Order: sequence, then structure tokens, then C-alpha cells
Amino acid sequence: MSAAALLEIEGLSKSFGGVVAVDNCTMSIHEGSVVGLIGPNGAGKSSVIDLVSGFEQPASGSVRFAGVNVVGKRPDQISRMGMIRTFQTPREWRDLSVIDNVRVGRSDLERESLWRSLTSARRLRRQDALDTAELRELMEHYRLDDIRNDRAVGLSGGQKRLLEFARIAAAKPRLTILDEPMGGVNPVLGERIGEAIRELKKAGSTVVVVEHNLPFIEKTCDEVIVMDLGSVIAQGRFDELRDNRRVVDAYLGNDDE
Amino acid sequence: MLEYWTAILTEATIFGVLALGIDMIWGWAGDFDLSAYAYFALGVYMTIIMTVGKAKAPVEYVLGWHLPYLLAVVIAVTVVVAFASIIGAIALRNLRDVYFSITTLGAVWAIYYGVENFTPLFNGYNGVFGLFDPMGGNLSYNAYHYYFFAFCLLVLFLVYLLVQRLSRSPFGRMVRAVRDDERAAAVYGRNVFWTKYRTYLFGAGLAGLSGGLFAAYIGAFNPLDWRPTEIFVLYAAILVGGRGNPRGVVLGSFIVYVGFVEMTRYIPSPAARPELGPALRQILIGLLIILMLKFRPSGLIPERLGTDGTRVRQSWRTWFSRSKILPDPRQDEVAAESASGVES
Amino acid sequence: MSILWISVGMGLAVAAILALSSVAFTLEYAVSRVVNLAHGEVLTIGAYAAYVSETNFHQNLYVCAVIATVAGSLTGMGLNFGLIERFRNQKPLSTLIATLGASLILQNLLLIGFGGASVSYQFAQGSLLHVGPFLWTTLTIKVMVSAVVVAGLIYVLLQRTRLGKALRAVSQNRELAQVSGIPARRVVMQTWAVAGAVSGFAGFLYGETIGTITPTIGNGFLLLSITAAVGGGLGRPYATLGGAVVLGLVMSIAGTYTSSAYQLVIAFGFLVVMLLIKPNGLFVRGRALTVRA
Repeated sequence: MSAAALLEIEGLSKSFGGVVAVDNCTMSIHEGSVVGLIGPNGAGKSSVIDLVSGFEQPASGSVRFAGVNVVGKRPDQISRMGMIRTFQTPREWRDLSVIDNVRVGRSDLERESLWRSLTSARRLRRQDALDTAELRELMEHYRLDDIRNDRAVGLSGGQKRLLEFARIAAAKPRLTILDEPMGGVNPVLGERIGEAIRELKKAGSTVVVVEHNLPFIEKTCDEVIVMDLGSVIAQGRFDELRDNRRVVDAYLGNDDE
Repeated sequence: MLEYWTAILTEATIFGVLALGIDMIWGWAGDFDLSAYAYFALGVYMTIIMTVGKAKAPVEYVLGWHLPYLLAVVIAVTVVVAFASIIGAIALRNLRDVYFSITTLGAVWAIYYGVENFTPLFNGYNGVFGLFDPMGGNLSYNAYHYYFFAFCLLVLFLVYLLVQRLSRSPFGRMVRAVRDDERAAAVYGRNVFWTKYRTYLFGAGLAGLSGGLFAAYIGAFNPLDWRPTEIFVLYAAILVGGRGNPRGVVLGSFIVYVGFVEMTRYIPSPAARPELGPALRQILIGLLIILMLKFRPSGLIPERLGTDGTRVRQSWRTWFSRSKILPDPRQDEVAAESASGVES
Repeated sequence: MSILWISVGMGLAVAAILALSSVAFTLEYAVSRVVNLAHGEVLTIGAYAAYVSETNFHQNLYVCAVIATVAGSLTGMGLNFGLIERFRNQKPLSTLIATLGASLILQNLLLIGFGGASVSYQFAQGSLLHVGPFLWTTLTIKVMVSAVVVAGLIYVLLQRTRLGKALRAVSQNRELAQVSGIPARRVVMQTWAVAGAVSGFAGFLYGETIGTITPTIGNGFLLLSITAAVGGGLGRPYATLGGAVVLGLVMSIAGTYTSSAYQLVIAFGFLVVMLLIKPNGLFVRGRALTVRA
């Protein structure tokens, strides 16, 4: 890989109530790639995401994002450096309209200052209105335009997934971490999600995908990292790993997928 | 009759300001705060003791200044916000949902019993009193009350404009996003604590302001005037009017105050049982809270949905359909099970 | 030193009642995941039921205790049937607000029924007794002994009976318990009956110990019960029991050196300290109740 590493994880460890979830885990993600993070259930994939995005604090080890150590930072601070993650179930702001969900994803934080909201509300609303055309184009793209003024809570599971992607696309992050984006998704929508990930890459975001669906990983990812028992056991192209004995033992062989 | 209505409407107006403040904390930020009534009371106490002058024994209280009314209210609001910043910092740092409510419930009773028993502060159980006239004392008794009502209405109107402006601003949108899912809000760069904290302090400031108005209205104040359970009337008002909608909250305040005062006026309260009327009123408030929560939690005028401007008016059909309660999708772990695709 | 021992002795009596009340509160939370803010009123109803039977029908101590227990139990079941089950599918916060409404209703019904003036039982206090360093009346000793007995009965119920086993299953996961063939609805109802009974009995003991009963005694005691339960471990009966003992001792020791009027202020300080340093409760390890975001 010629590009510099965007995310560098070194010697990361964490245990929950005596159970070791992440054990001396080391990996690096290069700028501009789509990386699949796979491993059997309980391999520590989701825990690594929580540690990287600041929702949990590691017992030891370091996480460097864009050259800066982010251990000890709050999730919102890490996010403002350009990292967006998702959770296993889509999390929409249920009582906001669909367009407002995307707007909050898009909106720059300056605009939300309490003082400016009080003193120059009209100007802020005009700025919001200027975004509308751009946002509607985005929602058209994710087939959300017809329901843009509906409360997000009423959306179907699939629409919530798409809303999540629209929100990420509006936020334009440097790094996107997707935690099982295919969970409970039908094949038709699966195609659309694969496409969305490639679009994120084209828009300049590096993408990490945690997924159990191996054909999907093979099709979507440039590179694959395999975890087992809290640490990385292999890293490389998908077809290379197919022959890796440890990977097959740990995951491919034991898994009914 | 006119004086009677002026009195009721003045009270409803003052509590409208308080309800707008509480609604910011609960309606927008989702934090069910039970100490707001203590902030209101602190506003009343501070305003009184800063305008009526030195305490004469056996009455005792702190400060005892002779400040102009408006200056006193400004200082009172500042003190209330400073005080709320301590309670808010404790209650909001890591605690959410029912734990936040429990903490503020504990806080309000601790403050209540503290004020009642520690006499050097606000004269304890007997409370503080003293007549002061914000208008400068050159009006007759009745004219004063009409002017004061007009003044309260003006304050409520200005506060409403301010709150409505904030409600529809990007700040209001962010607060509601944090309310709906704070982890997702943090993922998109929002500082959850700071967002909730600022909203909390703003709401507390409005509670202090309404206390400043109430001080001029009532002129005497003791712990019997602010039993912490009184806050339920305000929550009932917010629930009736429409949680999260400033217009609804003002409407609800007037409905509940005027409606309930009127209704309980006709309940016979024999001299031997003076508690009957107020007790029935409280029972009705309790019933109102439970029934609204169960059957129409979004109130008469539901929270305004931020749209792109193409469909601003809600039709009557959606008014009725809104009244059904949608289950919280995050409660079932496999919410995405029924992902039926994008055809719908 | 001897004053300290006497107040610790009184603290033990209060702690014993508090233990019953907070265990009932925690059981309600365990099966229904609801912070029942109408809990204080169940105690008050128990206290008034005993008062009615004592003054109007000249019943003795033990009959009054039974009547308080029955009244509390009926109230608990009524709350569960009329309110908690109706709000089952809503957020915990909505249920909490609904119980506040119920608390307001019950408290004011009592006010209408009995007036705002305080009433009291007329049982003989018995003689003063020195037990070790403590100074108690025979009545206080009866209160403590009966509280310990009831706590023991709760232990037997939880550990040795089918209801106890089912209760624990339901508190872990109601849906799963239902699927495994446990009649969850009935178990929840029975738990509320038990919790109500314990509360009613605790209310009787409380009225007995403090000597005056008003419709609002529940407010303060609710707060103490919540503090004990959250301090020890909400939803865990034994942890709550520990929390109640610790809180009772803290309050009585602190109360010796300040005025007893500041009892609730001290309790709130205890609650805040617990929530800040050990939000899961003193006696619980494991899942965090706080959030980090």
C-alpha cells in the first residue's frame, strides 16, 4: 500500500468483567481503501469499533486517527476529526423528520451555536434553506425523497438503513465504520448498500465494514482483516486469505455461512 | 369579577413562562426534571429579599437590599442559573432517564427541607414578605394589577418569541436529536452533556424569571407556597398543550390554570374541610397527567416537525393518527428483521 | 460516646423499616422495570388502614399489622393492574411520570378522607431497655424483630419457592420467561401483591415509630427508599437491603451531630455521592447504569 495509514491501532486491549474482548490488537487502515473486518462471533470486532470511536476506553494500547492519538477523547471529539460509525441496528432520531435527520448529519456545528440561534435565527434559516436543494438530491439518490417530511420513527427497517447512508454521505467523513450494515437486509437492498459503500469510497471516504456476509465482503472490500479471540490473525486480499490455514480454522471452517 | 379574572390570568401568564422553561428541559432535551420548582422558588425568594430592604427581627434573611425591581429580577435569574449549574452538572454528567429524575427529585426535597429548616437564609418556615411596587407606587390598587398583568403578558410574549425562535433554530434541532438518540448524536460530533447542560440552564433561567414575576404578584412567600409536588400542574399543562411545542405549552398553561381554577371554584369547600377543593384539584391534575400520557402524549398541538417547507400544515387526519403511540424500535433487538426493502 | 450508641440504636430501628420499604421498592423495579414514585403512598395507606382499625374497631397491635399488610397488598395489586401494566410498552420515563400522577391522586384521596392534621396510634410504648450499648423501648424491639422476620420471609420466598424462582426469571427477561412457560403476568401481579404487603406493613411500623401519621409522610420515606435502593443496587433485593442498613446508619450518625430536620438533606448527599462514585450501587458488580456518550 502506498497511501499513508489513516487509522493505526497498536496493542489495544480491553476486558469486560473479566472476559477479554480485545487482546493486544494491532492493525492499520490505509486512506482510500474499503476494508472488511471479519471474524467469528465474539472475536472482538464490535469492541474494537467501540474503542476506536471513543465509546469505550481501552485498558492499554493506542489508537491513532489521522496521526493523532484519540485514546481518552470523547466520541463527539473523535467524530469531529472526521470519523463516523454506525451501530448494529440503525439509529435514527425518531421524532425528527427524515430531512432533518440528514440535515443534522450535514449541518456544520457553527450553525448550532446557542448565541447565533438567538441573534441571527433568520440568517441561519436561510442558510438551511440553501442546503435544501443539495439535500433533496441526496435523498432522491437514496430513494427517500417521497418521505422526506415524515417522522423518521415510521420508516421501515430498509429505509432506516438508507437514511443512515444518506446521513453519512451528507456528513462527508474521512473514515466511515459500518457495524454489520447487512444485518436483516434483503438481497435487493443488499445490492444498494454495496453500491452505497462504493459511492462513499468515491466521495473520498475510507470505509471499514464489519460483516458476516462473506460474499458481500468479497465483492465490496479491497482488503480484509480477520480477527479471532480479540486480536488480528490475518490481513490481506480476500482470495489470499482463502488459503490461510488459521483463518479457515478460526472462521471459515467453523462457520455455517 | 374583572379583578378576579385579572388575578387568574396573571397567574396563568407567569406560569406560562415557567412552563416554557420546563418544556425546554423535558420537551426538547428529554430530561424529566423535578427540581425546576425549586429554581422558580429561588427566583421568588431572591427577588423579594433584594427589593424589600433589611430584615427586622425576628424575621431573618440574607442580603436585604433595596434594589429596583428589574435589576433585582436580573440578579435573581443569574443566581438561579448559577445554582442550577451545580445541580445540572451533577444530574446530567452521567445520569439519564429515570436516574436523572431520581436525582432531581432528591435535590428538590433536600433544597425544600434545607430552606424550611435553615432560617438565616430565607426565614425558614415563616418565609419572607414585604410589599414592593414595581411600578413606583403612583397607581391605584386596581390599576396596578391591570398594569402588572399587561407587563406579565408582555414578558410572556417576549419569552415566547425567544423560545419559539430557538425551538426552530438549528440549536433546537440539535437538542432534539440528542434527546432522540444521544449516542447517534455523539457519532455526528455533538457534545451530549454540553447540549443538555445549556438547555437545562436556559430552562432554569426562565424558571428564575417566572419566579421574579411571581414575587411581585404574591409579595410574600414561604415553603407552603412551593411544595415540590406543585410542579405536576406544569407538567400537566405541558402534556395538554403539546410537549416540545412552545405554542402548545402556552396554550396548555392557560387551559390548565384557567380551566382548573374555574372548575374547582364550584366545588363546595365547607369551612370545616378547607383542603377539599385543593385536594380535588390535585387529583384531577394527577388523572390528567396519566390520561394524557396514555392516550395523547403529544398533546393538543404536537411538536413541530422540521420539514423542507413544502408541507407546513398538518391535516386533521394526521392530528388523529398522531395520537397513537408508536413503540420504541430500539426496545426490540432485531428491529431490522422486517426490512421489507425500499418499495414502500 | 453513649449518645452516639443511642442514635445508632435508633438508626437500626429506622434502618429496619427502611430495609422493608426499599426491598419492596426494588422488587417492583425488578419485575416491572418501573421506578414507582407512588411507593410512598402504599406505605401511607398501610399506616392509615392500621389507624382506622385501631381507633374505630379497637383492634390490638397484631390485628392492625395484618390489616395494614392487606391494605398495602391490595394497593400494590391495584397499581400494577390499573397503571403499570397499562404503560408496559412505553418508555420507563413515561411510566415514572404516570406513577407520579398516581402518587398525587392517592395522596390527595387520603387528604380528603382523613384531613391534613396528623393522627397517631395509641399503643403502649412499653418500658425502656438497655441492650448492650443501645437504649430501646420494648415497642422498638418489636418493630425491629418483626422487620427482621419479614426480611427472613422475603429471603425464603425468593430462594425457596416457585414464585421466587419465577420472579428472578421474569426480572432477568420477561419475554424469555414468558416463552419458557412462566406465566409472567401472574408472577408480576403476585410480586406486586408481596411488595405491596411488605410496604403496607412497613408503613404501619413507620407510623408506629415516628408517632404521627399525615397523608404526606410517604414523600420523605419514598426518597429514603429510593436512596437506599439506588445506593445498594436497584432491582437487587439483597444489595438493596445492604443499602438500607448503610443509609440508616449514615443518617442516624450524621443526625446526632446536626439537626434531625436535615435527614433528607443528608440522604440526598448520600444519593449523590453514590451516584457519582458507584452508580451501579454499593453491592453490585457488573453492567453500568450510566451512559458514556
